[in-house]
Amino acid sequence: MCCAAVLTLLAARCPAEMMRGGVGLEDLPQGWHDDRARELALAGLRGHRVVLTMAYASCHRLCPATMDEFKRMQRVADARGEVVDFVIIGYDPKNDSPAVWHQYRLSRGLDRDNWHFLSGSQAATEQLARQLGFPFWTYDEHVMHESRAVIFDAGGAQRTVLGSRISRWSDAL
Amino acid sequence: MLNKLLIPARAIALGVVLCTASLPAAADSASDAKLEELQKKLDQSLQMIEALGARVKELEGRASSVAAATPATAPATAPAAQPAATPGPNSQRLEAVEQKVAQIETANATRQSDDSGLPIHGFADVNVGNYNLYFPYYKGTNVGSLDLYLTPKIGNSVITLAELIFETGPDGHVGTDLERFQIGYQFNDEATVWVGRFHTPYGYVNTALHHGVWLADALRRPKFVNFEDKGGVMPAHTTGVWVTGAEREGNGKFLYDFYTGNGQQIQGGTVDMQNGGNAHGAAMFGTRLSYQFIGGAADGLLVGVNGFTDKVNDDSSIDPALVRLNMAGAYAVYDTDTWEHIIEAYAFRDKNLNGAPGTHRSEAWFAQFAYRAPWGVPYIRYERAMLDQTDPYFNEQTFGASYYRSALGVRFDINSKSSIKVEVAHTRNTDERPATDYRPSDAEIGLPQQFNEILAQYAVRF
Repeated sequence: MCCAAVLTLLAARCPAEMMRGGVGLEDLPQGWHDDRARELALAGLRGHRVVLTMAYASCHRLCPATMDEFKRMQRVADARGEVVDFVIIGYDPKNDSPAVWHQYRLSRGLDRDNWHFLSGSQAATEQLARQLGFPFWTYDEHVMHESRAVIFDAGGAQRTVLGSRISRWSDAL
Repeated sequence: MLNKLLIPARAIALGVVLCTASLPAAADSASDAKLEELQKKLDQSLQMIEALGARVKELEGRASSVAAATPATAPATAPAAQPAATPGPNSQRLEAVEQKVAQIETANATRQSDDSGLPIHGFADVNVGNYNLYFPYYKGTNVGSLDLYLTPKIGNSVITLAELIFETGPDGHVGTDLERFQIGYQFNDEATVWVGRFHTPYGYVNTALHHGVWLADALRRPKFVNFEDKGGVMPAHTTGVWVTGAEREGNGKFLYDFYTGNGQQIQGGTVDMQNGGNAHGAAMFGTRLSYQFIGGAADGLLVGVNGFTDKVNDDSSIDPALVRLNMAGAYAVYDTDTWEHIIEAYAFRDKNLNGAPGTHRSEAWFAQFAYRAPWGVPYIRYERAMLDQTDPYFNEQTFGASYYRSALGVRFDINSKSSIKVEVAHTRNTDERPATDYRPSDAEIGLPQQFNEILAQYAVRF
């Protein structure tokens, strides 16, 4: 009886995760700060769709291309009249401080209020990367990572994963 | 909690509805008894849904009472939060299992990497060309290098780094080299101390691009700042102690390096960093000071100065003391999303220690300009080394001749982990180098006086 109850519970949990589409915004670590050093809760972004990626400020290879994709997605959202929050979380908390992200935004003209460049603790950064599947490792000052983003729906549930196999991320919005 | 229970309840209800919808078709061909049996099962399912609904309501009531009775700072398991009604044994078991699953999920998500073994990452490259890109007395295909990069985590402040490489050496055979092995202590962002074998902090390339060739936009390093066993003439590695750090200063960052290590030795025509210590105990001392601009018009600009002094011996048993090597240099880097420009310049003022009086002056510099286009990274580079051949430090090195090289290349990224680079280059050695007591002549080694190269490289990271 007990085993049956356990199996029932575990079986019921799997469809639930699938219905939610995997890790949701509320499941992610908290304690992030934006580029003005203001605390921002990821779960608080529910209400709009959220596109989340990880990047590091001194990256000149993959991250600029990711920012270009985000700009295209922003244009698509604007054309639809839809508010979408874009979240960029730093891979390298030691160097990606709020002040560094602030300069990053200024120098690249990424000044929309719905773009959030976040810094967190090393533990929170690694945990979020694990939960959302952003594999990375560091080679001295360089961060070896992928080009990837995750779209959450307005309820905070993970819906779509964007990677190098999708040529135009804006098509997935 | 309530959501977690509501979702299975909905799933069961959905299953019941689907079963119900399929019932009429089955009933057409079934007996009345079977129909009754199915009707009974449907009734049981509906009863189960009602029971689950009641259970959900009960838990909702519990949650409300817990929220009302529990202070914000009190733990969820505080005695005050106990419900008035005692749940049945099955419910307790279910909750226990659910808590266990949640704990496993949390533990899995927060699991530290030191519990999951040591990840191995690295780089590899293969090369094709009308000349070997480092040893121009070879032609054709070469296997390049397999670079294993290990950073075992010992703790929050204790840091380690090892770079183990299998690569083709000057003799054409694949050898193994522990290129870097450092154990350090990070006091804070402003200060880290490393002990071991590290890349000597001079210029930009030597401590920014390391051994993984995939990382660099260019196919290879400038020749004179290459690694010792790949044609470089400077002590690219040091075995010693290195203090490094950075301090944010306004719209920029001040970076510093101080280091000391074993005095180096020329062995078999190559500079050696004396991993096991040297015979005379003399030390090398050096420093590098840099400033990185962040934001504003100069965003991406890094400028610095560096220098070292080193007592260099050779492997002669008669009179090993060779030269006091003194270097001063400066560099500038402009590294942005669009451009990568690197300029490094070095001046050497060496003093003989082998009995023959005299000082020697040599200079070397390079300039590289690269454009990061969406389709690839074209680059152009010019390098020049004017190395005094009466200076035993350069004269005893196999690749110690003066030269100039002009190169044009491009990098294409196949994906985020692999790239193909192509380079055409013209190199001219400007010194005639007859044989000495320490090495054969360039002609005997097979080094061409001047040559044009067409090189291709396939590089990956993993």
